[in-house]
Amino acid sequence: MILRGAPILSVGWLILITIVAVGAPVLAPLDPQQPLGPPLSYPAQASFLGTDSLGRDLLSRLIFGTRFSLSIALLASAITISVGTLFGLTAAVFPGLFDRIMLWASNTLLAIPGLLLAMLVVARTGTGLASVVFAIGIGGIPGFLRLSRALFIQIRSQAFISSAVALGGSKLWIARFHILPNAGPRYISISTIHIAWAFLGATSLTFLGFAGDPSIPEWGSMLNTGRSFLNQAPHLAILPGFAISATIMAIQSLGRWISHISDPLDAGWRSSQSGNRNR
Amino acid sequence: MFTFPSIFRPLWKAGHRVPFSLALLVGLLLSACSSMEEPLSIVYGLTLAPSGIDPHINASAELGIPLSSVYDTLIYQNPDSGEFVPGLAEKWTISEDAKTYTFYLRQDVIFHDDTAFNAAAVKANIDYVINPDHLSQKARFMLGPLERIEVIDTFTVVFHLREPFAPLLDSLAQVYLGMASPSALEEWGPGDYQFHQVGTGPYRFVEYVVNDHITLEKNPDYAWGPEFFNNKEAQIAKVIFRFYEDSATRSVALESGEVDIIGELPPQDAQRLAALEDFDLYPIPIPGQPLQYFFNVEVEPTNDLQVRQALLQAVDRQFIVETVFGAFSPVAEGPLTNDHFEDIVLDPYTSYDPEIAGELLDEIGWVIDEDQGYRLRDGEILALHLIVPSWGSNPEVGQLISAAWENIGAQVTLEVAPGFGKLREAQGEGNYQAIGLNFFGTDADLLRSFYSTDGLFNWSGVQDSRVEQLLTQASQATLDPDRRVKLYQELTSLIHQEALLLPIRDYVNLVAARSSILGLRYSSQGWFPYLIDLQFAP
Amino acid sequence: MVPLPYRPSIRAVKLMDNRGAKAISKKMLDGIFTVFAAVSVVFFSLRLAAGDPLEILLSQGLATRAQIEELRVALGLDRPLFSQYLDFLRSLLRGDLGKSLYTGRPVISLIKEQYPQTIELAFSALLFAIGLGLVLGVAGAILKQSHIGKIAEFIANVGISLPVSFTGILALFLWLQALHWATLEALLLSLKDLLLPALILGFASAGALAKVVQSGLAGSLREPYMLAARARGIRPRWRFIWHALRPSLPPVLSIAALEAAFLFSGTVITETVFARPGLGRMLVNAILQGDYAIVQGIVVLAAALYVFTQALSEILSIILDPRLARQQ
Repeated sequence: MILRGAPILSVGWLILITIVAVGAPVLAPLDPQQPLGPPLSYPAQASFLGTDSLGRDLLSRLIFGTRFSLSIALLASAITISVGTLFGLTAAVFPGLFDRIMLWASNTLLAIPGLLLAMLVVARTGTGLASVVFAIGIGGIPGFLRLSRALFIQIRSQAFISSAVALGGSKLWIARFHILPNAGPRYISISTIHIAWAFLGATSLTFLGFAGDPSIPEWGSMLNTGRSFLNQAPHLAILPGFAISATIMAIQSLGRWISHISDPLDAGWRSSQSGNRNR
Repeated sequence: MFTFPSIFRPLWKAGHRVPFSLALLVGLLLSACSSMEEPLSIVYGLTLAPSGIDPHINASAELGIPLSSVYDTLIYQNPDSGEFVPGLAEKWTISEDAKTYTFYLRQDVIFHDDTAFNAAAVKANIDYVINPDHLSQKARFMLGPLERIEVIDTFTVVFHLREPFAPLLDSLAQVYLGMASPSALEEWGPGDYQFHQVGTGPYRFVEYVVNDHITLEKNPDYAWGPEFFNNKEAQIAKVIFRFYEDSATRSVALESGEVDIIGELPPQDAQRLAALEDFDLYPIPIPGQPLQYFFNVEVEPTNDLQVRQALLQAVDRQFIVETVFGAFSPVAEGPLTNDHFEDIVLDPYTSYDPEIAGELLDEIGWVIDEDQGYRLRDGEILALHLIVPSWGSNPEVGQLISAAWENIGAQVTLEVAPGFGKLREAQGEGNYQAIGLNFFGTDADLLRSFYSTDGLFNWSGVQDSRVEQLLTQASQATLDPDRRVKLYQELTSLIHQEALLLPIRDYVNLVAARSSILGLRYSSQGWFPYLIDLQFAP
Repeated sequence: MVPLPYRPSIRAVKLMDNRGAKAISKKMLDGIFTVFAAVSVVFFSLRLAAGDPLEILLSQGLATRAQIEELRVALGLDRPLFSQYLDFLRSLLRGDLGKSLYTGRPVISLIKEQYPQTIELAFSALLFAIGLGLVLGVAGAILKQSHIGKIAEFIANVGISLPVSFTGILALFLWLQALHWATLEALLLSLKDLLLPALILGFASAGALAKVVQSGLAGSLREPYMLAARARGIRPRWRFIWHALRPSLPPVLSIAALEAAFLFSGTVITETVFARPGLGRMLVNAILQGDYAIVQGIVVLAAALYVFTQALSEILSIILDPRLARQQ
């Protein structure tokens, strides 16, 4: 049974937030942007979790927040993973100058603190959710490039690639039909874990106030606004903070599980080697 | 003093604290120290660690809180009457053409480093400020069209202006143009001087440790204060200023006894402290401009007066002020704050009425489209781009304004500009319908850079010859205060008629102090306390 | 591969003598070049990023347009970008990081002012991270089957995953609650300055370290030389430390080096959450204000730290496990 040891709790949480994200307009009881009364009111019938610091329904904001936070992370990861894979694969197939340039460039960029890199991008493009997607998408490339390159090179060095070369396969053909498919579960694993990093990075940027419009319900911005009210209404910060943390942990444990079933000894630490740089 | 294992010694020296297990120990020691402090000192909580505290060079209001008591100014403004009274200058005369100011200085004043105060010292100070290499951020511009300083004799000094400049006296009464010891200025120069400040005031500057504290000590020789000081000399031997950037911890610091006076409390905390017996709350109005948003008259659809009027009526300013600022803030009624400029700001703004707002828009063809849920005219959506600064409650207020406009059928994009650069950039591009910014100040000439056609902060894009004329007259043609008030009244009602501005709230600094401390009063600017008048309850 | 026998560290030093000198000088060149490249990237991306620093600088002073232009010429900001770049490199070579526009003071002295705060936080966090990381990693590896091992592994995962914005806020919340109950308020107040942020920051690093320790240890415990050591009758504790733990340390070192470089160049979010001064906050403000010189100064520092700690960890790794020198 392939699902043995699958992190049921994590998968359940991810399914739940996906449903909530898709169905937000139907599920949310109230408009997340219109104030409905006095601020910081306690849970009542009209408002299940009470109101936030500007008198808006907290539950509706959390529900819509799922949609915004998830899509930012997924879009950013799409940029990183596609560009990173393209370069990583090319570097693995053309081991000469191109590979060296790629390796050197990503090493240089990794020497600049990641958040700084992202902030520089935002300084250029202005605040806003699109800028955050762009900044996290670009900022993740050097790290993902290194990981995917290492994986592809490992596969390239295996015997069946040599036989493919001996058979006269073109480099493109080898890359497309031999390296990529054989990267399989481990490639999926590093990509999955990368999504967790992107999620963390994106919510960190919005936490720092780079979302542009704070009335957009997004978990990172909500955590940021909520922290001013730790004395009076701690749940304003704790609920979105919990949602962010649970999502990151769920995605990561899913990634680790995929990595574990594909390569029991590796245990997945390599994929998380890049560590949490959003501090 | 006990000794640390040698490996920790550099850290102890560098950071004043030691990691981990030692932190607990040090914490205990610190708490022991603070409870043993001598009774004649107080701790005043500042709210942000400024990037520099040289009043001639840096611009923050925060630096004036301690330094207003280190420096005297040539003249003072009596906070009760608003009149300008003698300070280091015994008297002054202004020439007929209002371009020459002559100051006759006191002859008994010495700086904390025993340098004598005289006309040459005044010239040295002003020259230091206007030196372009020194990059003065505020003081230099407060002098307006100053041409040069002339020393007539030891105690007479003349300011020559290129053209008349009514706000000059107001500028000279502020700490940014306070008189520093010329020998100290020369010895340290810009950058280092801020750590070695020397003035003539009731307190002398002892030390400034970046991010940590500023210490002042009583100046026992002080005998030249303006007449409105209640005390002839300082009553409290030592005042220490510490920084509390995190607003949530300010009331904690006050209640735990770590500080005796602290400002900029969050409204909820202020309300709670006001009810306690051990603390007094001082809501201090800060004069200048209210929290305000300009309509851009150069772009669709806010180029239409009726749209602007509708947008004004759509916003419940009372609700916004109550939600964001609690009970202590007045709703703003004009381009200047009510408390300080009560002669200028006369008629209140139109009251909140979303239905009238909707009718106004209907009249000119912006009608709700049921499919999209927004107002449309000729197939175009009523789209508004609102840009607000990231500081001073602007993001919260911006969200409520944006919700209010959405409520009457506009499609609002709210953008929080994370720094001044983005605001300027947006102004350059001009693609906004409304934008926020406000400054503090005690002279109404503040309005000039906001409403004059080529004003640096002309966010509305207003180009009106009537406005221009009023502004120039008020700053150049007359020094008569009554005449100036008349001119500014006219300007205010023009701004009002043209619906150029959405004013929200006059700034009030919520200061709380231990009730054993008496005599806390502030200068006309609102931020700066007269430390000399502080004393302990008997 | 047949495992090579262990030799005392002196052998490693010898190994480095031969080809080592050449390798080290190449590494140094590489490192300097990396720093140079990183700083250049930042130099140009800052100038491309819009926002006129002069207008920001004078925003509070109500300056006129003419005054701003005068100042721009005086500061040389009107000259072509490339000649500004050459000037910048020239002064960088002299060890001069330039002057901050906003405060008019040399960037070096500004960094020196903020750095003690960053150092004390980074140092404490790193110490805590290494301690906790080792404990969790070792527990996770040798008690793999028991509950303790599982719990240790879970804690490590939590440490890696949780954003410090959340853990920090949670800690602050608990701290505020404690303040309401406790009597030792002054003591509690002082906790917030260093201990809490250091624990929160260190916890996140500890997770990453624990993972590496655990997987390295799990690997070396399976190696045949462990059996050999057991056969030679070496005491279990010594066997564990010298034969199992020591060779699993090099990857730990390289992660610890990454962590150190990162922590010592300023931690934006932790400093923001705890309203703590330091390089991170200074950096964010400098970006917002357009104070280029400060941003560049911090990048030079961060890149140099990164390069230096990487090199240091490689050298230490070779001393710990001389086999690595041969592999290179």
